[in-house]
Amino acid sequence: MAKVQVLNVAVLDNPSHFGNPFQFEITFECMEDLPEDLEWKIIYVGSAESEEYDQTLDSVLVGPVPAGRHMFVFQADAPDTHLIPETDAVGVTVVLITCTYRGQEFIRIGYYVNNEYTDPELRENPPLKPDYSQLQRNILASNPRVTRFHINWEGCTEKMEDSENVDPAPNAVVAPPCPAGKAPILGFLPENSMDCL
Amino acid sequence: MKLLKPSWVNHNGKPIFSVDIHPEGSKFATGGQGEDSGKVVIWNMAPVLREEDEKNENIPKMLCQMDNHLACVNCVRWSNNGIYLASGGDDKLVMVWKRAAYIGPSTVFGSSSKLANVEQWRCVTILRNHTGDVMDVAWSPHDVWLASCSVDNTIVIWNARKFPEIVTLLKGHTGLVKGLTWDPVGKYIASQADDRSLKVWRTMDWQLETNITKPFNECGGTTHVLRLSWSPDGQYLVSAHAMNNSGPTAQIIERDGWRTNMDFVGHRKAVTVVKFNPKIFKKKQKNGSSQKPSCPYCCCAVGSKDRSVSVWLTSLKLSHGTLNGLGILVCSMDGTVAFLDFSQDELGDPLNEDEKNSIHQNIYGKSLAITTEAQLSTTIIENPEMLKYQQEKGPVEHHNAADHETQAPKLTSVVNGESLEDIRKNLLKKQVETRTADGRRRITPLCIAQLDTGVNPLGTGAAPAVNSNNIKPNLLLTSAAKIEPMKALDSRFTERSKATPGVTISSSAVGLTMLDRMKDGGPLKDPKPKEETSSDSEDKMAVTKLSFTKRKGEVEGPEVVEKKKKGRPRKDTKMTPVSHAKETSRVAAPSASSVFVEVENEVSTVGGVRFSQLRCTREGREWDTLLTSRILTVAGSSEVIAVACEDRTLSVLSACGRRLLPAILLPAPVSALHCSGSFVMVLTACATLSVWDVKKQVILVRNVSLLTILSGTDTTVSQSLLTQQGVPVISLSNGRSYCFNSSLETWNLIADKQDSLVQCADFRNFLPSQDPMVSSGPLAIMQGRTLNAGRLASRLSSTPHHLQQGMTLAYLENQLASALILRSSQEYRHWLLIYARFLVNEGAEHRLRELCKDLLGPVHKSAGSIWEDTVLGLRKRDLLREVLPVIGQNLRFQRVFTEYQDQLELLRNK
Repeated sequence: MAKVQVLNVAVLDNPSHFGNPFQFEITFECMEDLPEDLEWKIIYVGSAESEEYDQTLDSVLVGPVPAGRHMFVFQADAPDTHLIPETDAVGVTVVLITCTYRGQEFIRIGYYVNNEYTDPELRENPPLKPDYSQLQRNILASNPRVTRFHINWEGCTEKMEDSENVDPAPNAVVAPPCPAGKAPILGFLPENSMDCL
Repeated sequence: MKLLKPSWVNHNGKPIFSVDIHPEGSKFATGGQGEDSGKVVIWNMAPVLREEDEKNENIPKMLCQMDNHLACVNCVRWSNNGIYLASGGDDKLVMVWKRAAYIGPSTVFGSSSKLANVEQWRCVTILRNHTGDVMDVAWSPHDVWLASCSVDNTIVIWNARKFPEIVTLLKGHTGLVKGLTWDPVGKYIASQADDRSLKVWRTMDWQLETNITKPFNECGGTTHVLRLSWSPDGQYLVSAHAMNNSGPTAQIIERDGWRTNMDFVGHRKAVTVVKFNPKIFKKKQKNGSSQKPSCPYCCCAVGSKDRSVSVWLTSLKLSHGTLNGLGILVCSMDGTVAFLDFSQDELGDPLNEDEKNSIHQNIYGKSLAITTEAQLSTTIIENPEMLKYQQEKGPVEHHNAADHETQAPKLTSVVNGESLEDIRKNLLKKQVETRTADGRRRITPLCIAQLDTGVNPLGTGAAPAVNSNNIKPNLLLTSAAKIEPMKALDSRFTERSKATPGVTISSSAVGLTMLDRMKDGGPLKDPKPKEETSSDSEDKMAVTKLSFTKRKGEVEGPEVVEKKKKGRPRKDTKMTPVSHAKETSRVAAPSASSVFVEVENEVSTVGGVRFSQLRCTREGREWDTLLTSRILTVAGSSEVIAVACEDRTLSVLSACGRRLLPAILLPAPVSALHCSGSFVMVLTACATLSVWDVKKQVILVRNVSLLTILSGTDTTVSQSLLTQQGVPVISLSNGRSYCFNSSLETWNLIADKQDSLVQCADFRNFLPSQDPMVSSGPLAIMQGRTLNAGRLASRLSSTPHHLQQGMTLAYLENQLASALILRSSQEYRHWLLIYARFLVNEGAEHRLRELCKDLLGPVHKSAGSIWEDTVLGLRKRDLLREVLPVIGQNLRFQRVFTEYQDQLELLRNK
């Protein structure tokens, strides 16, 4: 079962000017302490036609994540208008929030985004070249589309690295080979086994 | 009877595979397929029962839905106390849910239905062990265990009081296990599988009681489930899918002799589900009628693939099935749930719990099998001694129970008085954002509520103590690695001996081989004691008594090193060997005495002849002696002083400097020399080992080669020592330590720092609370970081319990065997008690009995008996007396307790 449950995503500063940053306040709950960070991404879909125009607006690491309920605000800059096909600038598109753990995406939250001119004049007669300064972005916050994926939360075999388990022996005096080449010489050594109290 | 199909109980058209009514009857749970996951829904019962409630929009219908299962949920079951809900699904998981005393309702984020969860149920444990779909789950009476069965052909019995601990694994089915039912008195659990068998297992020892195959021989085809059921009076077990004369039946199996003479017939297709009403009924007494009191009876519903359900009464002789039950919920693959409502007229009066219990007691008496803590109050304690231990244990348990209560899984708001709204306003500004080394943004999320994961308070309670122990050794380690090699070890022996009066005391001296120090070319002086203290704080007392004498006649470091490289450990004289002895007189007034040994090589005398001088100071008295060759190393104990010289001779002197033996010629230059009591151990440069008892003048270890243990080319000896009992121990650079057993003439591995068992074994809970950890015995010294044992255990929380149990068992047995072979009696006793506690806790009766049997020995002496009444000088029966109270802690073992206590008593009176 997923160790992380997204409880809520609140869309802040919405509707907003097209050039304003995206702000999502994300509340999630974690079943147990996560040894690694979560990676969150905001992806802006530039064109419904092709994934080619997807822009990752930003990605952040979130951590450490102990067991419990957490929240944070994920803010990311507005999309680069140069990368959006002009025909797709106005109208409905999608913004995605994804979260991955150990490189595996386990949740994808999608919102419809409606970009339109606030000025009725412009709305009636939109310019051929989109005027981003006049565009308003409206995220359909009430209707998130949530897709959950099953991932391997345990990840790869956890390394048992533990400073305390490092063997102190390597500082042993290396015994030189015995002239006869058979019987190893006994290297003598720091008796550092007083590691017990 | 009324039949109702509440259409609002659905999983959006997806199949529902399981339904279960809460013991209080106020709600019920369904389990099945969700949108792209498994789904568990908890529903309000009231709208099902009453039409007006159904119409009242203020009365919620759905209370909570949980989409956490990754795949279809096959089974949902409420615990008998109604606190927990267990669900098992195709994702191989069993989840245990508990209602969270959390704030307001919440929705499942992004779910299409906007219905808020009225109740908050959260998953408190995920039980991972099955390797296939979990088909059925069942709580034992009194919720002591939770059983789950799976298409992996196994049944797992979980400790419901200590999730995710596994009590046992029932293996034996050769097909998919599709149904489970507990005997209502807890003596058995029955399972039915695709292998055309129904198996009954005993809960006493988790062994197979009976295997019933005959009624299933004809069975063809498979069913999704095979949910069998045990009657609430315990008398009958009714199977799913049996065949009788080519007709599908539900086989009735009588508890008495497991006879299979009766069955429920009538269904046209295979029976998939049988479910007894948990109540026992008795005929309704009609006013005025002079019916004689009738026998209590049970009510059973049988569901089949023919899409029908029949309801039966077991009243008197099972003649004809009639409809009955106070209320039955039926779910179907078509995603609907039906409710069958019966009146008390139809069914009779249900007996209350007390009446039911008295029936159980009349039939079965008090069952031992279910006497876990849950039933302490109702279990008759047969033995007054046992009562004592139980009473001693009582308050602690109670305390734990209280802890548990307060730790009930809930979310506790930790947002220091600030309302969530205030926090949200400033979250963006307040949240901590950093950049990682590679320039990425990293946000520390604000924790708005902590989650109590319901960790066993016993476990957490024990942890800090262990941790604090862990930290120190670690610090010591690092400092030990940096500082000059010191050999403060042997002093531990003497330190320890102080604590064990009655044991012959020895002291030891140390041959220091401070090559590194020599390299520096500097004279050896004062910093030394400091280092020693830092590396061995416990021995401060002893260390302060040490004094060092500068050796005369400095030797250039490089030369020595070079010689060493050539394989000739011609360590020139050094100061040294410090020995301090501690004597514990029989009066138990320990009087410490220090012994200083000073070596001076090349004392020039007349005529150019050179001698080496050994000067020894003990309790203010001094003696000295002269040797003809340069002295390489010296070691001593309270009884003897051994001196190894450059000419390969070894001289053994008494504590007063009297020569005990003519010089012994060693086969090769000495590499290490140890003394302990009257034992002298020599390790030569040719990697051979000898140990003598110079007092008895016998050889214990004869020139044994270390080649056996020095298998790797890079392996070197990092440490050697001789225990008080004369057992030589060699530590290698690869982290392993061996001792040589002179009677078997074998090298025995006693410690391995890479041993994963050490890291995974979790026995912290079994450590004695008051005894200090035995840390100065030879075993502890060689193993060093045993305190770390179990460190990883907590990390491996997902390790299946049976695996960890096995690792712990193996580890403890290793420790016990190692302590035995090292003849370290105190350590043996220490590990024996931990081992016993572990066995008692894990319910390992066979091992426990074997242990007790060996400790007790034969009650009647027989000539052929080879039983020894002592082990390492400890009387076995005394050990048994120490073990008995441990056994007394677990009521399940009261028979074992009584048995051995009686025998001990018998022996004492003899």
